[in-house]
Amino acid sequence: MDLPHQRAGYAFCLAPAMFHVQTDALAAAWRAWLCGVGAPAVLIVAADGEWGTPDRRLLDGIRGELRALGAALVVVTEGRSFCFRPDVDRDEPVPERLATGAGMRALHGLYGVEAAAQVPFTLTLLDEHGAVRAQTSARAEGGLHATLLATLRSAVENTRADERVLFSRREVVLSSLTAALALSFAASCRPHAKPPSPGAPPAASTPSTAREILVTLVVNGETHQLELEPRVSLLDALRERLALTGTKKGCDHGQCGACTVLLDARRVNACLILAVMAQNKPITTIEGLSHGENLHPLQAAFVKEDALQCGYCTPGQIMSAAGLLREKRAHTDDEVRELMSGNICRCGAYVNIVRAIRSVQESGVPT
Amino acid sequence: MKSFDYLPAQKLEEAVARGEPRTSRFIAGGTLLVDLMRLDVERPDLVVDLNGVLSSDIAWNEAGLTLGALARNTDVAYDDTVRREFPVLSEAILAGASPQIRNLATTGGNLLQRTRCAYFRDAAVPACNKRKPGSGCAALEGYTRMHAILGVSERCIAAHPSDMAVALLALDAAVHTRRATGERQIPLGDLHTLPGTTPELETVLEPGEVITRVVVPRSPRGRRSTYLKVRDRASFAFALSSAAVALELEQGTIRSARVALGGVGVKPWRAAATEAALVGRPATSETYRAAAKLATSGAKTTPDNAFKVPLTERVVARALERAGALA
Ligand SMILES: Cc1cc2nc3c(=O)[nH]c(=O)nc-3n(C[C@H](O)[C@H](O)[C@H](O)COP(=O)(O)OP(=O)(O)OC[C@H]3O[C@@H](n4cnc5c(N)ncnc54)[C@H](O)[C@@H]3O)c2cc1C
Ligand code: SF4
Ligand code: FES
Ligand code: FES
Repeated sequence: MDLPHQRAGYAFCLAPAMFHVQTDALAAAWRAWLCGVGAPAVLIVAADGEWGTPDRRLLDGIRGELRALGAALVVVTEGRSFCFRPDVDRDEPVPERLATGAGMRALHGLYGVEAAAQVPFTLTLLDEHGAVRAQTSARAEGGLHATLLATLRSAVENTRADERVLFSRREVVLSSLTAALALSFAASCRPHAKPPSPGAPPAASTPSTAREILVTLVVNGETHQLELEPRVSLLDALRERLALTGTKKGCDHGQCGACTVLLDARRVNACLILAVMAQNKPITTIEGLSHGENLHPLQAAFVKEDALQCGYCTPGQIMSAAGLLREKRAHTDDEVRELMSGNICRCGAYVNIVRAIRSVQESGVPT
Repeated sequence: MKSFDYLPAQKLEEAVARGEPRTSRFIAGGTLLVDLMRLDVERPDLVVDLNGVLSSDIAWNEAGLTLGALARNTDVAYDDTVRREFPVLSEAILAGASPQIRNLATTGGNLLQRTRCAYFRDAAVPACNKRKPGSGCAALEGYTRMHAILGVSERCIAAHPSDMAVALLALDAAVHTRRATGERQIPLGDLHTLPGTTPELETVLEPGEVITRVVVPRSPRGRRSTYLKVRDRASFAFALSSAAVALELEQGTIRSARVALGGVGVKPWRAAATEAALVGRPATSETYRAAAKLATSGAKTTPDNAFKVPLTERVVARALERAGALA
């Protein structure tokens, strides 16, 4: 593994004397852990309490931009440290022995941070090998979350992949993020023209979340009103805003069927639908298929016929089968196979999936 | 996916006006646009939703079949009239995508879907003339098993992926549109353009021009029509080669024929030489096979996709055989 300083020609950094040669076990463990994250990451080392509880809108915005970038966020504070990735259900804890603010600062050469109270946090850009690509100590006027959102958003806006000759999408993302960090650093260096007078409305430094619009979703018989950006897919709205995580994300491109739900009683890929376009139409997810504790006949048949192995594709398979039963166009095993071809099973449980669906058809129970 | 604004158009004129800027995109079913936005290939600032301003009706009258631009692929494929009058259209749609996607995909969107060229779809590949005019073509140096052999240029060899468009071409369909200056009709064969030196231009539609409906005329060949698609797996895959054929027979002689190809052309491809070789001949296997040999005339292949020439000849021969045998 390259040490950060060996890649210095490649990296560019904004704070002085950034790269430390760290060969100790802690550094190795830290890099190994970041490799496990497997994505470019923005590392935030913040004074205690600085991360706090972010505003819902800012957090949604941050999530949306991280998703657009395919990047992760690692937050290290004395109180709580975690790694956040948009498509991983739970925040992962940073291993305790790595997650000390002091260790972090030493590791990434952020000296002086502790002492300088006016720099309550630093943003560091790490590539998927754990190497530092850029760093900035922001004296954020709008606060940590707003600064982070503005930085990420500017990176996304400027990710014109095809205008750069770089090897991979990751390099493109890293270079956009590097530029965005430079911008946010420059912004934090601007002298205050006038200190904001107390009581005045907060300066317009909060990045715009103006694109959010009010969206009404009718899911499993319940009506929800959500403020969402138009780019949010129905799948992400279900999973992240309504906590209906039964619907799975496999490919996010319509190719696997894991995200199948019923929209207006028809099976569709929730990953290909903008939530704003699914408004006011009944949506049924796997959570809405059973009647309380009573399994839907398809669910019972999948259990009985052992129609799954890992189970990841199963909610999509069952919702797709629910659509297929309503359509009444599959009458033979072959027709079931053909009309279930939008659902891929990496475990290859197909034989029993077909058997489960056929058994429900043959039983004649109403579905 | 970059952030964008969303406009559910309330009037067709509004859609045309707001869809005009280069930074706007229409959305209908969304199965293509959402996919390409997520890939960063499309980065619009404004997405104009057509669902409030177009029809999804499927109607059958003296003129023939009218499909509203919003008619969903599933609804067209299983429509009784379509299955009876134009089996090739139903079969082509059902040979494409998955039931979930077909439930979303619309008639207009299907015709305007964009190539599956892997280099086009990977925004981090620097060279793609279609994505970025003048940047070169990564496919020419790359892996081209799925690429086109007919109509290719030195700038782009991407295949047009639609199955439905191939069937509509064999049925002499026309696209009706609305633009700022009024309405017009475009024969399906004229809708898509050849890549030439401008592969970034794919259709004759002007910015802001909306497809409102597709009209399929009544035809003496309609009922004797079929679609045959060969792909890398049995279902849910794009065509390596496909053929839509429609025949008119009279006492064992072919009076007229339409043959269109998919998976091999830069646009839905009419096999005119094959059609000419069928007309006036007896409807026999020999005729079909001889005519099929002409289907790929003018092909320009790469080592990866040269197999499409013999494959297409067989696909066309078998499709003709099948159409000839229809009751
Ligand atoms: C996994 C997968 C597999 C697929 N397999 C196949 C296959 O095997 N065969 C096949 O043929 N297709 C296949 N498709 C493609 C699918 O058929 C198309 O994505 C679909 O038909 C597009 O229709 P839509 O309404 O969803 O388009 P949208 O995404 O809404 O729009 C597509 C394009 O057309 C424009 N547009 C839409 N409607 C209009 C209109 N009325 N006027 C002007 N512009 C308009 C949009 O701006 C956009 O650029 C597959 C797709 C996926 C995701
Ligand atoms: S074949 Fe066309 S779409 Fe594919 S890389 Fe070349 S120019 Fe781009
Ligand atoms: S996640 Fe939607 S089809 Fe794979
Ligand atoms: S059961 Fe594992 S993917 Fe289907």
